[in-house]
Amino acid sequence: MSGETATGGGSTETLDRARSLLGRYRVPVGLVLVVVLLRPVISNPLLLGYEAVAATILIWMVFVAAFNLLFGYAGLLSFGHAMFLGFGMYAAAIGVSGRAGAPQLPFPVAAAIGIAVAATVGYLLGRLTVEKGEIYFAFLTLAVAQAVEFTANRNPLNLTGGSNGVTQNVLPGFVESTRGQLVVVFGGLEVDWYWFVSAVFLVSMLALWQIVRSPFGRSLVAIRENGDLARAMGIDTTRYKVQAFTISAAFSALAGSVLMVDRYGASQETLSVITSGDTVLMAVLGGVRYFFGPIAGVFVWQFAEEFLNEFEVLHLGFTSVDLSGVLTHWQFFLGALFVVLVVVAPLEGIWGYLRDWVRDLYVRLKGVAE
Amino acid sequence: MSDTADTATETTDDVEPTDAGREADTMPSPDPAVDPTTAALATDGLRRTFGEVTAVDRVSLGVERGELRAIIGPNGAGKTTLFNTIMGTLPPTDGRVFLDGQDVTERDEHERPHLGLARSFQSNELFEEQTVLENVRVVVQTSRRGAFSFDLFRDHRSVGRERALELLDTVGLDAPPSTLAKNLSHGDQRRLGIAMALATEPEVLLLDEPTSGMSPGATTATANLIEEIRDELGLTVVLIEHDMDVVLSISDRISVLNRGSLIATGPPEEIQANDAVQDAYLGGMREEL
Repeated sequence: MSGETATGGGSTETLDRARSLLGRYRVPVGLVLVVVLLRPVISNPLLLGYEAVAATILIWMVFVAAFNLLFGYAGLLSFGHAMFLGFGMYAAAIGVSGRAGAPQLPFPVAAAIGIAVAATVGYLLGRLTVEKGEIYFAFLTLAVAQAVEFTANRNPLNLTGGSNGVTQNVLPGFVESTRGQLVVVFGGLEVDWYWFVSAVFLVSMLALWQIVRSPFGRSLVAIRENGDLARAMGIDTTRYKVQAFTISAAFSALAGSVLMVDRYGASQETLSVITSGDTVLMAVLGGVRYFFGPIAGVFVWQFAEEFLNEFEVLHLGFTSVDLSGVLTHWQFFLGALFVVLVVVAPLEGIWGYLRDWVRDLYVRLKGVAE
Repeated sequence: MSDTADTATETTDDVEPTDAGREADTMPSPDPAVDPTTAALATDGLRRTFGEVTAVDRVSLGVERGELRAIIGPNGAGKTTLFNTIMGTLPPTDGRVFLDGQDVTERDEHERPHLGLARSFQSNELFEEQTVLENVRVVVQTSRRGAFSFDLFRDHRSVGRERALELLDTVGLDAPPSTLAKNLSHGDQRRLGIAMALATEPEVLLLDEPTSGMSPGATTATANLIEEIRDELGLTVVLIEHDMDVVLSISDRISVLNRGSLIATGPPEEIQANDAVQDAYLGGMREEL
């Protein structure tokens, strides 16, 4: 009898420990689930039916999460984040291709240069702008990003390729393209491009998560919540904001360098204000207050773009409706969803709703069970 | 550390006599205790103008170590502006601020809590969307790590949690630590503000109307808390307060501010009897007192 009780207690304890471990590591577990599930889910015939965009989606998730470290956590809205993505993209493309007399570099070196440039620009721009107030910060980042795009368009020293971008000889040595599929070759080992991107995704997202949960990250949140109070309590708000900007820029450039390979080169469109705007919209759509917000936002955005573009005929069993004409305007529908979200709860986003919905469901089920 | 303190004292010594002389020539000092080198907190000819308006007019204040000083004055007398100028939230137009004999006038606002000067706000300034615990914990963290720290590799919950809970207990905040700050009652929000100020581990604490909007019972509890902070934690407390019962019962000395100027400083009984104070501030309340 007593033995049974002891065993029972033990298993509850194990269960509790498992639950608390899961609670503590739910973000890493969630990130692994994203990586494992994303490709099979979107290549399901009911959804996209092909998997090519899966890697692209992961890269965008890293980029928007890096953006959201600045926006969602430090409270600084950058309207020029495309430039940081662009620094990574162009540095990788120029370095790997060795065009116009530039030294040909291994991909990691070229990417590191892009990250260093982005971090430096982020740091200097941060020093100039973070204390100027929200509107000025948004406009100044926008203005500098426009200047960067303009410069790339002018094709200085024939490095950036003007409006054509950099698309020749841009694949790193360890990446091969066979039948339109990218394959990473390490020694004799061949790995899907998707798994390489997954590794970058996991490392970057875990790093961002650690930053968010660190004392450093909590200082950012305090600054976002009430900058005046934070300063009065001894927090050097300016330095924290500048460093958040620098870190955000560096991770954005990292995403950019990988995106360069994924997209077979650096394109000038990536630098445009539209990219910067989309970044903001994806973050808000997903929910800027949550670490998984950008992940949800990017998924819905990119998926909607592909899905609605491809969608043509709706089969309802008894009849079929041709929707291709309407759904190519996918941005209209996404925009409508966006407006609804912002009006109802601007900070919650899709992820916030999902969380609440799951919580309500759980509470209700528990009530029924009892 | 002692080196910097010495240098600072020396600098003060160089400047102080001339300043004090000028003050003495132009107006009789309403605060007899002003001696920037020995006071816990002192201001010397502190002035702050907004365009044509002089909100704080040549205020020279000297608060002894361990003193509980109340600052009273009619609405618009410049009490909160005085606090803002002392804390560095507003740069003074003129004059100096001394903390423990050290001239801190040029120090940034965020440096002052690390030098031992902290404040609570008149309005409930909080990190509203954060839990009660996190509101205090992030300040404890800042106090331990400094104004800026690249503390990236730890879990924030491992820094300052116990101290934060202790401080919540000190101020008598009974709400669960996981409550969001915005969901606290008004009185509890004021208590949280005091806990956050204490989390900076100050030597001098400025409290801006800590009992405003509180019920009589809560007001008494807060008055007791303030005395406790002074007596048991050994802090110097400067208090802006409208509740005269609180002021008269707990202050060691009272300074009266009128139209930006300090018109009197003294023990409660003296202030009650002071004619200038009666005219400027207490007015019809003379009988009541």
